[in-house]
Amino acid sequence: MTCEKIREQLTAYLDGELEGDRGTPVRGHLRTCAACRQVATDEAALRDGLRALPPLDPPPSLWAGVQAQLAAAEVRESQRPAWRRALSRWAPLAPRFGMVLGACAAATVLLAWRAHRHEETAAPSLAQQTPATQHTPVAPPPPAPAPPPAPVVAPAGDVSADLAAEPARISGDSAQAATALLATARAEIAAWPADRKQAFEARLSELTAAADAAAEGRPKQRAYRDLIRYLQNAAIREEVALR
Amino acid sequence: MEMLYHQFKRRVFGMAHRIVGPNDAEEVAQEVFVRVFRGLAAFRGDSALSTWIYRLTVNASLSHLARRGRRQEISDDNLPEVPATPEPERDPGLAARIEACLQQLPAGYRAILVLHDVEGLSHEECAAILECRVGTCKSQLHKARARMRDLLGPMGVAK
Repeated sequence: MTCEKIREQLTAYLDGELEGDRGTPVRGHLRTCAACRQVATDEAALRDGLRALPPLDPPPSLWAGVQAQLAAAEVRESQRPAWRRALSRWAPLAPRFGMVLGACAAATVLLAWRAHRHEETAAPSLAQQTPATQHTPVAPPPPAPAPPPAPVVAPAGDVSADLAAEPARISGDSAQAATALLATARAEIAAWPADRKQAFEARLSELTAAADAAAEGRPKQRAYRDLIRYLQNAAIREEVALR
Repeated sequence: MEMLYHQFKRRVFGMAHRIVGPNDAEEVAQEVFVRVFRGLAAFRGDSALSTWIYRLTVNASLSHLARRGRRQEISDDNLPEVPATPEPERDPGLAARIEACLQQLPAGYRAILVLHDVEGLSHEECAAILECRVGTCKSQLHKARARMRDLLGPMGVAK
């Protein structure tokens, strides 16, 4: 083992962390290498010196200072409105409340999703059963009390189609918003210096291309969100700054 | 409350003294005890009370140093001149020299040396106080001692 490797292990060795065989290479090396032995001796002396440092007594004024600060804090606390005192009392529990609320929200979403899936799977089976019962030649049923009306289940196809059209609808709305904002932004940037205008146009074409190229759904929504944010920053902030 | 103060006053003051130096130690210790007493009701017992108090002490000390703008790293090029004792037999002034050299160390090294070597806490306790891994603690201690050896020069004891 090289001196460098041994010195890396010296602290652990001197603190008794290399038990048994793990300490043998260090011990063996120290017997033969005077330089490393010197380093080990110095480190042991330093460690012992640090351990032997006397405890430090605080000045008597420390306790008086602590009491004075606590008293001052109490006075400040008593002068705050009651609602703020209550708020600060509950503030430490906020993360726990947040977790509980989060868990409740997650449970609600899960239940809603499961109910929705149940409806989806129930609807086709009803649709399949109905024609079969119509074609089976059966004797006219005996007069029986009228069955309770079946729950009205929306055809599964309608919901799916609606859901499938949702991303395109959102993208359409985003495109409209972007167009409206762009008109505002263009009015605002008319007064900008040429280099700033150029930078705006470059960034705008970059973001527009990204929005056009993005796949329908989340990627497109994200791209439009970036574009809209940029336009808002360019137009609205400028407008606010100029007022 | 006063019992708790007397139980921890030496350690809290000692740690603060050795991390921030003698001039600001009282101010930091005072801040720690105020935080302890005001936060005691909210102490959830996730760790030992002593670990929590030491963590407050180390954090308050390091924050104090940061506020004071004294948390600069000492590079090898500008190690301060600390007079080394030429006499290698026995060094009666070793404690004073160690205290002086401690103040020359970067704050992080100072904290680990004070916790592990001065206060005698285990690596596990130091890791819990400094909120780092045990391995990080060990390597920091190794580097801190090496830096202290450089600052102290040849030692005159245990020979």
